[in-house]
Amino acid sequence: MRRRYILCAISFMIFTAAACCQRDLAYDNVVVPQDRIDARPLGYPPIDVIPDEESGNTSLTVAPNGDVYGATSGERAHLFVFNPRHGYVRPLGVIAGARSVSNALVVSGEGDVYIGTAPEGTILKYTPLREYQQPIQIGKPLTMTNLGKPVPDESIAAMTIDRGAGMIYGLTSPGAHFFRYSIATGKSTDLGVVAEKAPFGERFEKNKIMSRMLVVDQQGEVFASGENGSLFRFDPKKQRLEKLDLQVPAVPGRESWNRVDAFLLDPSGMIYGGTSDGYLFRFDPVKLAIVNLGKPLSQDRIDGLVRAPGGRLYGVGGDQQDMARVFSYDPSAGVYEVLGFVDVNRRPYYTWQAYVIGAMACGLDGTIYLGENERISKLYLFYPPAGEE
Amino acid sequence: MQSLQQNYTSAITVDASADAELQAPPRRLKGSAVKRKRDRRPRRVFPHICTIRTIQVTLAAIVCVVAMRAQTPVKTVTVDYRTFPGLANMDGNWAALKVGTDGKAYVGLACHGCNGHLVYYDPARDNMVDVGDLTSLSGEKGLGEGPQSKIHAKFGEGKDGRIYFATHGGWWFDYARFGTREGYPGSHYMAFDPKTGKVEDFGIGTRFEGVNTGAYDPKFNRIYGLTHPRAHFIYYDVATGKKVDKGRINNWDSICRTLGIDDDGNVYGSFGAGQIFVYDPRTDAIRELDARLPIREKGISLGRDYDKSETAWRTVVWDHETRKFYGVEESASTLFSFDPAAPPGSQVKVLGQMAVAALAAQRNVPYATLSLTLGHDRKLYFAAAGAEFDYVSSAGAVASHLITYDLRTGKLEDEGEMHLPDGRAVLGTNSADTAPDGTIYFIGAVGAKGDPPSEGYGGAIQGTPFRLALFILRGKGN
Repeated sequence: MRRRYILCAISFMIFTAAACCQRDLAYDNVVVPQDRIDARPLGYPPIDVIPDEESGNTSLTVAPNGDVYGATSGERAHLFVFNPRHGYVRPLGVIAGARSVSNALVVSGEGDVYIGTAPEGTILKYTPLREYQQPIQIGKPLTMTNLGKPVPDESIAAMTIDRGAGMIYGLTSPGAHFFRYSIATGKSTDLGVVAEKAPFGERFEKNKIMSRMLVVDQQGEVFASGENGSLFRFDPKKQRLEKLDLQVPAVPGRESWNRVDAFLLDPSGMIYGGTSDGYLFRFDPVKLAIVNLGKPLSQDRIDGLVRAPGGRLYGVGGDQQDMARVFSYDPSAGVYEVLGFVDVNRRPYYTWQAYVIGAMACGLDGTIYLGENERISKLYLFYPPAGEE
Repeated sequence: MQSLQQNYTSAITVDASADAELQAPPRRLKGSAVKRKRDRRPRRVFPHICTIRTIQVTLAAIVCVVAMRAQTPVKTVTVDYRTFPGLANMDGNWAALKVGTDGKAYVGLACHGCNGHLVYYDPARDNMVDVGDLTSLSGEKGLGEGPQSKIHAKFGEGKDGRIYFATHGGWWFDYARFGTREGYPGSHYMAFDPKTGKVEDFGIGTRFEGVNTGAYDPKFNRIYGLTHPRAHFIYYDVATGKKVDKGRINNWDSICRTLGIDDDGNVYGSFGAGQIFVYDPRTDAIRELDARLPIREKGISLGRDYDKSETAWRTVVWDHETRKFYGVEESASTLFSFDPAAPPGSQVKVLGQMAVAALAAQRNVPYATLSLTLGHDRKLYFAAAGAEFDYVSSAGAVASHLITYDLRTGKLEDEGEMHLPDGRAVLGTNSADTAPDGTIYFIGAVGAKGDPPSEGYGGAIQGTPFRLALFILRGKGN
């Protein structure tokens, strides 16, 4: 009996040890399906690549022609472009003076790229010109036009664009100013603030709380979140920024520290958003009504939210000290699916897992791009199942 | 602090009445000559029809190999040993071995799913002392969180005589519990003071992450580490109490297992595809060097543990005399020197292969161990695994070999299988260090024959129960 007990214990130890050490099918279950994801380095390693400590991907946007532009944060900020048909990331140059571009990269209808920088707080314009015919020169300053600072002594914390109106909107830090920049006139306007003061907290907590993105609806109205997790609306017709009587979903009691991490305008006219408390919500900008869709993950943050062809939403959550997971949401069925960690396993050639995602975008062909925001970062391509519009 | 009060006599006794099932003899390495011979046969139209000549040649080859093996005595090297009384369920040790200037051997014992222990062996008194379990020493006992299961990194000794280290977690559950209440809370920086026997806890460095690679630098009085799973380079400045996270270095499955520190306090590690980085404490910056390690090209999958990446160095030791690192890389146990001061392109030189000769050329040469140390006789001592070794995940209960490389002559020598005085084989090791008196210590696994079954075991290697032991090689490293 004693011998049998010992042998059983030994067998158990062998099994459990093997299970904890090997990358077997069990680990495949916790990551995004490998037939749906791939990664690209930010350039041509080992030389012509955006250097480590400068590669944190904090902005992604899709140009009208389908090119995907990204900006990084770190010791220096870089701009890069990804042409989906060409297939690799092309570093375009250093964004001089900038250390951060956080959800502050937009492309106009004409294809010009506008960059909102931190800590300088300037708007820079880059006009693409035969990018793939230029040699990659890591460290070369990007040729840009400085369009000035929309709000003096403030960094740009987020930007969005109304392409039809030729208007750029943004938020600044630390003052939480809401500004507008007219591409046609080159004039910036400070429209007010979305947070008067920092919420009550520990003594070291001094930051005002505002959304990490803005969104323009189909009527050209612009939305952001501000103090107490309240939604703010800028109505271009009335030329007025107003605080709405609406709070985005939070864990009760945490409203004052809650903010919108990601916004998404759906073709239906609805706006979807994800909050720092990890809730997904739907906002009807006409009826001014919010529906709390619950939490797709047990983690905080929704750092990216996109809509794939067919209408399914894809997002990513998990805070800076966490491990990011991808989820999907089917609005027609109201069903979530947790897809797992952002992991690419192409052994023996390459393997990498992203823990922090800084930006997300959906290309014209439906490919979803996830920008990693770490000391060493890559661009991930996620191929969602085909969906009919 | 709990003293185990186990005093050892110099004679090692063997319990002849031990359970026969627990006395599995170590397997000897199989020769590969026959297999290669068979592989070279010309292709035949009907391969299942063999000629008489083919059979004759094959049989002759087999007979020759068997005869040669029968006539060649197995070269062995005998090591003394000490087990860890009361801690028979400890199931691993990686890197955590340091012989202090006081001559005591400080050891971190791992236990997956339970508490690791800090232990030291005092050779002057010939006793083993259990300082305590790491979860209790971290002040986390009873919290119901993931235990402090390991010290998975090198210890260091400060100018104040204290032994500095960081703790690590055990099981990671495919990271399903990462950042959760029941998950691992994070590695603690700590110091053990041999004078008082007390441990000072400096708190958690990086939440939820363990330190599976680390080193202490007495010059700048800092504990350095690479975290698992997110592979961040971190450090704790003991004087100021500052905890710094410099960000990600690599992917979780390829975090190098040794940080090397030179005389100037620069910290080196490997990352990527055989690349080397250096952290300069003066600039607080990480720089990536052009130097490349001699990594062997990957071939077919070996089905190895996923976190055995074969792209980094496995271990390095700093030589104060030549001011070079000597190290063994992961892919083929290639021994190299790394001279940080040499011009780019000539910093890394290949010196040999620290593998068992019969396995050295094979694709499945066992994964390099962490057991490398520099003896006072200017020889590098390396305990090479006789089969893929990682405690319960080992491929077989096969004897380790002691391989030496003489820095003065460049001679590489397999000193033979490592055995205990009672004939038992050392089944693998994963740490090594040299004492001030030249004694060389290793920590690893030994078959549990002779030990009271009631104490339990660390686990089993392919059916052979083992427990951890401190192996003592006397009279070699002087």
